[in-house]
Amino acid sequence: MIHFQHVTRTYGEQIAVDDLELSAAKGELLAMLGHNGAGKSTSIKMLVGLLNPSKGTIRVGPYDVAENPRESSRLIGYVPDQPYLYDKLSGREFLQFVAEMHGLTTAETRDALDREATRFELGGFLDRLAESYSHGMQQRTVFAAALIHDPEVLVVDEPMVGLDPHSIRLVKDLMREYVHAGKTVLMSTHILSVAEEIADRVAVLKSGELLFEGNVSELRVSIPEAGESLESLYLSLMGQ
Amino acid sequence: MTMPISNPPHAPGNLIESLCERLPSEEREGQIFWKLRWRSSRSQLRYLATQARLRTCLVVGLSTLFWFGLFALFYSGFDFIVKNVGPPGATYHAQTVQFIFTLFFASLQVMLIFSSSIILYGGLYSSDETNFLLSLPVRDARLVNYRFQESVFFSSWGFFLLASPMMMAYGMVVSAPWYYFAYLPFLMLAFAYIPCALGAIACLLLIHRLPQMRGIVVGAAAIVVIGLAYFSIWKTLDISDAESLSATWFVETFRRFEFTRGEWIPSTWLSNGLLDAARPNSYDPNDLPWLESGKYLVVLVSNALFLHVVVLWLGNRWYRKSYCSLNSRQARESRMGAAWLDWIANGMLFPFAKQTRLLIIKDLRLFRRDPAQWSQFLIFFGLLLLYFANLDRFRQHQIDLSVQTWINVVSFLNLAVVGLILSTFTTRFIYPLISLEGKRFWILGRLPVKRDTILWGKFLFAAGGSWLPCAGLVLLSDLVLNVSAMVVSVHQATCLMLCIGLSGLAVGLGAIMPNFQEQSPSKIAAGFGGTLNLVLSALYILAVVVLTALPCHFILLSSGGGLASQMLQSGTLAIWLGVGLIASLALACLVTIIPLRNGLRAFRRLEI
Repeated sequence: MIHFQHVTRTYGEQIAVDDLELSAAKGELLAMLGHNGAGKSTSIKMLVGLLNPSKGTIRVGPYDVAENPRESSRLIGYVPDQPYLYDKLSGREFLQFVAEMHGLTTAETRDALDREATRFELGGFLDRLAESYSHGMQQRTVFAAALIHDPEVLVVDEPMVGLDPHSIRLVKDLMREYVHAGKTVLMSTHILSVAEEIADRVAVLKSGELLFEGNVSELRVSIPEAGESLESLYLSLMGQ
Repeated sequence: MTMPISNPPHAPGNLIESLCERLPSEEREGQIFWKLRWRSSRSQLRYLATQARLRTCLVVGLSTLFWFGLFALFYSGFDFIVKNVGPPGATYHAQTVQFIFTLFFASLQVMLIFSSSIILYGGLYSSDETNFLLSLPVRDARLVNYRFQESVFFSSWGFFLLASPMMMAYGMVVSAPWYYFAYLPFLMLAFAYIPCALGAIACLLLIHRLPQMRGIVVGAAAIVVIGLAYFSIWKTLDISDAESLSATWFVETFRRFEFTRGEWIPSTWLSNGLLDAARPNSYDPNDLPWLESGKYLVVLVSNALFLHVVVLWLGNRWYRKSYCSLNSRQARESRMGAAWLDWIANGMLFPFAKQTRLLIIKDLRLFRRDPAQWSQFLIFFGLLLLYFANLDRFRQHQIDLSVQTWINVVSFLNLAVVGLILSTFTTRFIYPLISLEGKRFWILGRLPVKRDTILWGKFLFAAGGSWLPCAGLVLLSDLVLNVSAMVVSVHQATCLMLCIGLSGLAVGLGAIMPNFQEQSPSKIAAGFGGTLNLVLSALYILAVVVLTALPCHFILLSSGGGLASQMLQSGTLAIWLGVGLIASLALACLVTIIPLRNGLRAFRRLEI
C-alpha cells in the first residue's frame, strides 16, 4: 500500500533521507523509529505530499504522491506532530470541512461525524471553538479528522505526545483495530514500548539511512547479544 | 470506547478508484471554502462584538473620524479647484483633476502591488493553515485562490479607506450625477484587483525562479520605488520663492509626472472613468458620459478577470513545486553577531545593579534578534526621519510672523507625531513583554532575583530604548525648522516626559493585565489591555503637548509683535510656560508612578 522506492531527500548539502527503500502492506502497522533528525518526519512529509523527494518515488496504492497529490491525499489520513485547528471554528465545523473536502455527502458527513465523535469521545466539546481546547482535546479532534473519510492509510507522527493514559490506550486500540480491518498504519514514535506492543514491523532509521526493516523477532535474531527488549535491540543497533 | 472500522463494500482496486472519483468538483470545492470562510468570519465577528468591544469601537470610531477628516480635506481642496480653475467642462479642470487622480491612484497602485505580494507570500509559504490544507485533497489553484482572496482583502482595505473619501468629495463638489456614485464601488473594486493580481503574479514568479533571493529582490524593488518617489518630490519642491506656484512650475510639475498618465496604466483608466462619470451631460448621443465611463469600467473589469485567470493558472503550474522547493532549502544558521551592541548597552547601564543590567541586556538581545519586531520600528522612525529631513521649506520665511507661527505649530505637531508613533511602539512591543515571559516565566521565577527587579528592568529598557531615537528625531526636526533654543529645550523636556510616561504606562498595564495564553505580541497588544494602553497613551500625549505647546505659541506671538493684550505680556506668558511644564511634569509622574506601582503589586502576587 505504501512504497518508498529509492527515495532521497536533501536540504542543500545535508542528506535528510538517503536511498530509502521501505514498504508497508495492507493490514500492517509499521513503526518508524530513530533519533531526532534521523529522517522520520521528513519521510512522513514526503509521503503526505508536503515535500517532494529529491530522487525516487513514493507510491500510495496505485498513485505516485508527487504526480497525483489529490488522489494520494484522498487515501491518507494524516495526524501531524503539531495539531492544527482553526481557532475560530468549532470541532464540528472543522470535521465537516475535512469530510466535505474528501468528497463525503451531507448525510455521509453526518454519520461519519457521529461515528468519530463517539469513538474519540468528543461530544463534550465538539461545539466549542477550537481555541478553547486543551492539547489532548486538539489531538483527539485531529485524529477524528484524519479518520473521518475512512482512509486506506493512516499516517501518524508522534501520536502519543501530550496524551493522558486513557487517550494513549484509545489511540493504541484504534490503530490495532484499523490494521485488523485491512488498512495500513505508518507511525513514527520515540516510545519504544508502544512500538513493541502494537507494531507488526519496525523500520529503524539513523541519520537518514535505513538500518533495519522487519519485525522484532527478526531483529532479535540479527543481534542475539543485545537482549530481548526492543529498547536494548534499538540501542545496540544505534551503536550504544 | 472504540467503534469498529467500517468495511469497504468493493474490491480493493475498485474501492480506491471510487474513493478518488468522489473527490469534490471544482465548483463544490469552491463552495466548501466559502463555507469555511463564512464560518470563521462569523466567529471572529462574534468575538469582536462580545469580547473585544473596546478595540472594535475604537477602530471603527477612529476610522470613521479619519474618513471624515480626509473627506473634509479633499472637499475643501476640490472646492478650491472648482472656484479657481473652473468647474467640470472648463478648460483646465479635467487636466488638473486628472493630474491629481492619476498621481494618487498610481501611488496606491504601487502600494497594492507590494502589500498583496507580501501578504500572499505569508499566506502561501509560511502558514500553518496552508501546511494543513496541503495535506488535504485540495486543488493547488483553489489553495492559491483562497489565499489570493485574503491578500486582496487585507491589502485593499487601506486603498478603500484613502480613496473613497476623495472620490466622494469630488463627486459632491462637482454635483456629479447619480451614476457617478453608482459606478464608484465597481470602479474601485475592479481597479484594486489589478495591482493585487500583479503582486500575486510577482510573488509566484519570484518564489518559482529566485526563492533564495526573494528578500533581496523585494528590498531592492522597494528601495528603487522609494528613491524614485523621493527624487520626484524633491525635484518638485526644490524651487525658489519666485518660482513657487508659478505657471512655469505647474507646467514643469505636470510634465515631470507625465508617466503616471500613461494610457496603459490601470490608474489612468480609473481616473478617466471617474472624470467621465462626473462631467455634465452634453446630450450628444455620440458622447454620453455614463457610457464613456462604463467603457473604462469594462476595461478594468476585463483586465482584472484576465489577471485572475493568470494567477490561478500560474498557481496551478508553479505553487506546489515552489512550496516544496522553498521548504527544502538548508536552514541558515542564525547569526548571533552585533554583540558590540550589548557591550555598549552594558557600559551605558553601569549606574544600575548587575541583575537589572543583565535583564535589560537579555530583553535587548531578544528584541534585536527578532526582525519582525525591529523592522516595524525602523520603518516608522525611518519615515519620520525622511520627513523631518525635508522640512527646511520654512527656513526662507523666518521674518513673517504667520510663517513663524506655522513653524511653531509644525514643530509641536512633529513632537506629537513622534509621541504617537512611540505610543504604538510601546503598545506593540513593551506592553506584551510581561505576557511573553509567560511559559518561560519559570526561568526567571526560579532565579534569585526579586520580581520588582524584573519589572524595573523592563521599564528602564523601554524608557531608555525609546528616549534616544525620539530625542534625536525631535532635535532634528527643531534644527531643520530652526526654532529658538527655548523651544528646543521645551521639546526635549517634553520628549523625556513622554518616553518615561509611556513606558511606565505600558509596563505597568502589562503587569496588571498579562495574557500568558497568547504567544503572539500583536495579539496580546490587540487585546483589551493593549487597546486601553493605546487610548491612555494618546490622551497623555495630547495633554502634555498642549500644556507645553500653548504657552510657547503665545510667547512667540507676543515676541513677534502680534496681538497686544495684557494676557500676552512676556512675564505672564513665562509663568504660563512654567505652569504648563510643571503640570506636564506632574502628569508624567502620575502616569508613570500609578501604573508602575499597581503593576509591581500585581506582579508580586502573580501566579502562573
